[in-house]
Amino acid sequence: MGSAKKSSASRTARIEEMRRAEQARERRNRILTIAASVVVVAGLVAGTVVLVQSQSDDDGGSTAADSKNPGKFVTGKDGVRTWEGTLGRNHVAKAVNYPVTPPVGGDHNPVWMNCNGDVYGDEINNTNAVHSLEHGAVWVTYNADAGKADVDALAAKVKKTPYTLMSPVDGQKDPIMLSAWGHQRTVTGADDPDLDAFFEKFVQGEQTPEPGAACTNGLSK
Amino acid sequence: MRQWGLVTGAAVTALVATGAITYAVAGDEGASDAAPTADSADAGFARDMAVHHQQAVEMSYVVRDRTDDEEVRRLAYDIAQTQANQRGMLLGWLDMWELPKVSSDPPMTWMGMGDAAAGKDGALMPGMATNAEMKRLGELDGKRAEVFYLQLMTDHHKGGVHMAQACVRACEVGVEKRLARGMVEGQESEIELMAGMLEERGAAAR
Repeated sequence: MGSAKKSSASRTARIEEMRRAEQARERRNRILTIAASVVVVAGLVAGTVVLVQSQSDDDGGSTAADSKNPGKFVTGKDGVRTWEGTLGRNHVAKAVNYPVTPPVGGDHNPVWMNCNGDVYGDEINNTNAVHSLEHGAVWVTYNADAGKADVDALAAKVKKTPYTLMSPVDGQKDPIMLSAWGHQRTVTGADDPDLDAFFEKFVQGEQTPEPGAACTNGLSK
Repeated sequence: MRQWGLVTGAAVTALVATGAITYAVAGDEGASDAAPTADSADAGFARDMAVHHQQAVEMSYVVRDRTDDEEVRRLAYDIAQTQANQRGMLLGWLDMWELPKVSSDPPMTWMGMGDAAAGKDGALMPGMATNAEMKRLGELDGKRAEVFYLQLMTDHHKGGVHMAQACVRACEVGVEKRLARGMVEGQESEIELMAGMLEERGAAAR
């Protein structure tokens, strides 16, 4: 009887031991499951971030000043800066505070600047020029640091390229810049191969918010 | 062993999810290579919007002959140029897909609205003007022509935006979806512009 009691007690202890071991195993598995899930989620997040930012991220300083156009430039491997964020599309008569110079989109004047290979010797209203970008034009701009030979060569090129326009913009940071809706780049001169590449990609390109719209019969000065 | 199964399972899940994300990102524009069929949203939108646009082009030419107002004449020029070109894109795609320009089904069947288009007196789809309204526009002068044009075009744009939204949802050809999205945004912005122009003329949308 005594031995039966003893063996029963040891069986209870053994069962207890097994139960503890089982619980420990379950706990370990649960921790592993959680850890694996965390790794997967972290991997997915990192992967998504890498995908989204695969165009490399820099060019700080040009973050939005305009609450209607929140966003920033992201520079691609090809040197083209792409605006990541919203760009207004409303017609407004007043001046617009654009976050970058020259602007690459946003609310604009109801009248577009003629952009059928038009070259302007004086500064033009950026609100009219932005409307031209909406129609699929590329806007060539330069400041006082640009050489005269380059300016002349650029003007000749613009004059023979429909859906482009050119004008001086004193406030821009680089001597020669190219802008399309949501995109911008700097080029070194009229013979920079990046100029042709930009024209080919963006003159009436995929970025055009209003495909088919005209570059004629707008403002001519 | 069970742990390794778990880890392997997790890794496979991660791979599949990454693949799905990549596919979703890459497939956003122009996933399908095959030409659309005649009853697809892509073909239906190309057919119907080409017709819808044509009336806006016509209406804009008419008002340019009825007023000297620079603002209305420029808006009409913009709409005529834009919609004539977009109509050319839509018809060009139908040509490339070797699909007919007409269908025996009622307009907008592709967006589940085959029974909505009345077709009364030339107004083949929602927002379109009747033949009588087009005739009247051609008889009005000056400010009365401007107001009537702005009212007709506001209705026209509202119908157009609704149809373009259906293509944004249901079209599968990336370039067409993009064009439709541009139409929605462009025409919504012009509806606002026209509301302001109507107000300046002491009128409002119908």
